[in-house]
Amino acid sequence: MGNVLNILFCLSLLYLATTTRVTAYLQVFVLQSILLFFIVMMPLLNHLSVFTLVLPLTILVVKAILIPRYMKKKIIYELEIKTTIEANIQQFNFLLLSVFSMVAVFVSCNLITKDAAVDPIPFAAAFSSVVIGLYVIIFRKKLIVHVIGFLVMENGIFLLGIAVASEMPFLIELGILLDIFVVVFLMGIAINKISSTFAADEVSALDKLKN
Amino acid sequence: MEILSKITIYMVFIFAAPLFMGLVNKLKARLTGRIGPSVFQSYYDLRRLLRKETIYANSASFISRMAPVVSFVSILFAGMILPVSFTRPLISFNGDLILFAYLLGLSRFFQILGAMDIGSSFEGMGAAREATFAVFAEPIYFFTLGSLAFIFGRTSMYEIFHSITLGDPSFLVFIVVASISVFFLMITETSRMPVDDPNTHLELTMIHEVMILDNSGQDLFLYQYSAYLKILIYATFTSNFFNPFSMAENYMIGFLVYLCVMLVLICCLVWIETMLGRFKMKSIPQYLLFAASIGILNLLIYSFFRK
Amino acid sequence: MLVLFYILILPLLAGGLFFIPGGKKLKYQLSLMVSVVHLAASYLIFAGLVAPELHQWFRIDAFSKLFLLILSHVYFWVVLNSWHFLNRPTVYSPDKSTKIFFSIMNLYLFANTLALISNHLGLYWVALESTTLCVAPLIHYYRNKESLEAMWKYLFLVSVGIAFAFIGILFLAFSAHGTDIIEKGLFLSDLIEGSSKLNMVWLKAGFIFIFAGLSTKAGIAPMHPGEVDALSYSPSPVAALVSASLSGTALIGIFRLMQITAGTPVHQFAQVLMITGGMISLLVALVFMFKVTNYKRMIAYSSVEHIGLIVLGAGIGGAALIGSMLHMIFNSLNKTAMFLMAGNIHRTYNSRETRDVKGVLKNMRWTGILFLTAFLAVIAMPPFGLFFSELMIFRGLVEQNRFILLAVILFVLLFIFIGMSRQTFSILYGKAESEGEAAEPKSEKFNITHLSALVLLLLLASAGLFMPAVFTDVINQIAGELSR
Repeated sequence: MGNVLNILFCLSLLYLATTTRVTAYLQVFVLQSILLFFIVMMPLLNHLSVFTLVLPLTILVVKAILIPRYMKKKIIYELEIKTTIEANIQQFNFLLLSVFSMVAVFVSCNLITKDAAVDPIPFAAAFSSVVIGLYVIIFRKKLIVHVIGFLVMENGIFLLGIAVASEMPFLIELGILLDIFVVVFLMGIAINKISSTFAADEVSALDKLKN
Repeated sequence: MEILSKITIYMVFIFAAPLFMGLVNKLKARLTGRIGPSVFQSYYDLRRLLRKETIYANSASFISRMAPVVSFVSILFAGMILPVSFTRPLISFNGDLILFAYLLGLSRFFQILGAMDIGSSFEGMGAAREATFAVFAEPIYFFTLGSLAFIFGRTSMYEIFHSITLGDPSFLVFIVVASISVFFLMITETSRMPVDDPNTHLELTMIHEVMILDNSGQDLFLYQYSAYLKILIYATFTSNFFNPFSMAENYMIGFLVYLCVMLVLICCLVWIETMLGRFKMKSIPQYLLFAASIGILNLLIYSFFRK
Repeated sequence: MLVLFYILILPLLAGGLFFIPGGKKLKYQLSLMVSVVHLAASYLIFAGLVAPELHQWFRIDAFSKLFLLILSHVYFWVVLNSWHFLNRPTVYSPDKSTKIFFSIMNLYLFANTLALISNHLGLYWVALESTTLCVAPLIHYYRNKESLEAMWKYLFLVSVGIAFAFIGILFLAFSAHGTDIIEKGLFLSDLIEGSSKLNMVWLKAGFIFIFAGLSTKAGIAPMHPGEVDALSYSPSPVAALVSASLSGTALIGIFRLMQITAGTPVHQFAQVLMITGGMISLLVALVFMFKVTNYKRMIAYSSVEHIGLIVLGAGIGGAALIGSMLHMIFNSLNKTAMFLMAGNIHRTYNSRETRDVKGVLKNMRWTGILFLTAFLAVIAMPPFGLFFSELMIFRGLVEQNRFILLAVILFVLLFIFIGMSRQTFSILYGKAESEGEAAEPKSEKFNITHLSALVLLLLLASAGLFMPAVFTDVINQIAGELSR
């Protein structure tokens, strides 16, 4: 059953590489976060207690509710950001690149996890997420899309942490979530200010700093 | 006896093809608030076409005469390979999934040839578009079915579909995912809504319809009929992924599952056609690639999953 | 445990309390008190007079001692000067920033201390990310376009980089798979002790990711742009803080990894990686030293150069390692002084461009002299400490017969010296083109920033000549840790 969630996770990544709308990006992120919630919940189902529920629920609240809401309200609506993402390369090439990288990631993950006691599928899914998140950051122009790319990357890292099953202590996971939330919060403020001072929310506007 | 029942099923399948289209059109009309044509309208259309005279353009060569027939016959043969519900199809051997793909390819090839033969620039454009999208559509088929063949180690369509079981919950997702990508394939191959609008006659945006602008009478009948057949073939193809739900090879349940899946498919198709606008011509390849990459993903996951 | 209260809880409390609106002056005085307490505590810890009993989440070893002292020291001078800095007239109106300045500074101190004394890489990561979050609003202090852009770039690049470092930490966890380290909770001390039990392939992968990720924060090329932008467009005290203390906080993570790899086959690989990173930093600094037209950016690239030297020295090991630790200390002293003086110049001329700033030595007597002295220190003139530490690094190179590397480094340093002095002297001596400015040389009062810079530079000069024994002890301990 865990694999089902991982497959869906990969599918969401492919969709991310296909779609061209900012809101769809956000929806993919929400979907991924909900999937993460279920992936974290899975092994806990057998010994359910209030204490074990704290982490998954925090993930759900922070990643699936607070962050998307904040981004939607404060950034997308308030700034009236145009709904299309602006890309540096053609969408088709982007998808092609993503698919090829995904294949490469899967094959290499399969190779390197052969002798380690690690399930290759979540591992590869997590790594694809990191790679595609990075591509989103590199090949997209809008700052808000960069933030979503960063979040997708973080989701991948989170999944990676679960895939190893060598759990980071509970408090640290919470600390990480808090950090990410504050990062997104600060980035949101920055985007707000950038769009008011630069009259564009694209990276191309940010070229003042040179040598 | 066995062969007789197979032939019966096949005949029913062939004759039900326009009905499928009729149902789609009717439902679509109802959803948009119109009464719509009768469910059997497709049959009436076909009958009308059959009665009409076939006219050829002055520039038409023998290819124009040949193309509709070859196209239609190869579709008929493709129908023979496709397993409907439980029965072993009329033609079934190891490797028939490739024949299936190439029969459909042959049909398309002759349609394109026929369109180009007349030398009209419109039809040439349509042919070019059809060929371009076919390039992106083909991988969907091969990655989806290929991954299945790879996983089960079978190369016959019938055996592949019968190897899918519900033993592992992962297959559930797999079924859904694979059927989604085949659904994409169906929309592309049969030139339905988000890819091509069958109702417009605006030349700039047409793909399939523009190719058969110059055909009339019996030729048009053959083209139309092959279009109806094609969509039913793909729909059945999609429904085959849901075979394992009819558990213990019970024919009655199998048939019911088949009908249910068909109904769901019709609803999906109608829903998509009413809800979505046409994609931009430019962005179609990326959606097709998306569907193909689903197949690739399946291949990746299951080849590692099974080790 | 009481010491922990002074160095951890007190800044946290102060940071929290200061969100309540209140007198700026009071906040300043309290912050200064916190920093003095912190400084005293870290001196005590450093000298070994206080050996706190720690929970297993914390660890104070030779590394922590040294870096804690550096942090505390830099922080003290920055806070001391912040009052003067906040009250000086500027063309910008950073009132909002001033309100939160002290609370963020205290939170920064808390997060940074936590990162330095954590005994768990996860905790270290969380604290390190928090320092980024604290620094980001400070970079945006002036609330103008450039600082906004610098803040965005710093925040984004460093966050992404640190995310990569986290992947490295996870790989490290992989490498401990099947050992008892995992059951004990993946603590750093267990990792260091049981390093031979780790899976070497994963350890290597972990090192690559952590090194690349932390490079963004430490300012090691080619991951330096975020850091350089932040240094050049943030207010000077903040730049001093980032350059002199925050780089160290990122470096300690790399050194911790070196500590783990020491004694394993991966160590050599790690050393090669660090030497490469250091060399690239030097080369990048060389190239950009001739391209920059902005004197703060010039100092930022000088920071990249020195971090590169530190990493290089640590990668070479032996005497060079000791040299690089000394370099760490001296660099922090020097960079603080240099950024403070650059801040003074910026305040008077209202420009960061080299071409707008001429004749500092004439117009701003004290600043000019001190900037010149700091410049002489940064290019490693004797008797300043950096001279001795660089000499030590070169000795390490000679000991290992790496003469070609040594030649290249000397060559690069020479040209960096040329590039830097060209700009510096144009700032200090050049004649102003517009008549009006040159006509009336402004008399400059000797203020707290000058005093701080003077003390820092005196410390730097005397530390090179008379190194207290306790420093050599701690540094030898570090060297011992890294060459097991």
